[in-house]
Amino acid sequence: MIVRVRAFARFREILGGDLALELPDGAVMAAVLAVLRDRAGGESDAIFDETGAFRSHVILMRNGKRVKRDDLYTLVLADGDEVAIFPPVAGG
Amino acid sequence: MIGITGNVIDAGAMIEAAKRPGMGALVTFCGVVRDDGGIERMELEVYEEVAVRELEAIRDETMREYPIESVDIVHRIGSLCVGDTILLIIVGAGHRKEAFAACEYIIDRLKQTVPIWKKEFCRDDERWVPGESMDRMSSRSG
Repeated sequence: MIVRVRAFARFREILGGDLALELPDGAVMAAVLAVLRDRAGGESDAIFDETGAFRSHVILMRNGKRVKRDDLYTLVLADGDEVAIFPPVAGG
Repeated sequence: MIGITGNVIDAGAMIEAAKRPGMGALVTFCGVVRDDGGIERMELEVYEEVAVRELEAIRDETMREYPIESVDIVHRIGSLCVGDTILLIIVGAGHRKEAFAACEYIIDRLKQTVPIWKKEFCRDDERWVPGESMDRMSSRSG
């Protein structure tokens, strides 16, 4: 299945703004994060801590709805889903 | 009107358009690019679908919580120079006190929940403006 990943601001500069990831059917959110961690390479510490977990300020959405950290390993994605990843907001 | 735009915001035209016969006060907040330590320009980026939904949620919340008649919010994106308008909020009400209070509520909420980011460019440097965590995002956003 294909999952679209959109990254914004500093994370867009690291990951690219709009990605199409091919994942096995039944993949959970954590599978997306593993791909993004590899993609970030040497700049991954802006997004991930030394254990590989998301830093506390990182915001994740699936289809426009906030994803809680507790759900990373249980939230099953579907073909065509949109995942967004971004740092704290700074409008106004 | 609720919107995200890449065009110049015409505050005068928006204020005129917001007027209704029952309004005795239109309070506006106009956010502007500031020369803050040598900033020459700023780039603003948005997650537009979610940002528009959040702005609409803020408008609806404010209309429920305050005795006001209207809320207009337009946020600029793209490349802006010092002095350019970033944001215009207009609150129309019968009287000024509730309009001032509602306008302050809107800008505080916007800074907490609307996915927009700013990058500042100086002559020899650039940096992302530190943001807020979105912990108070509308319940519709999960």
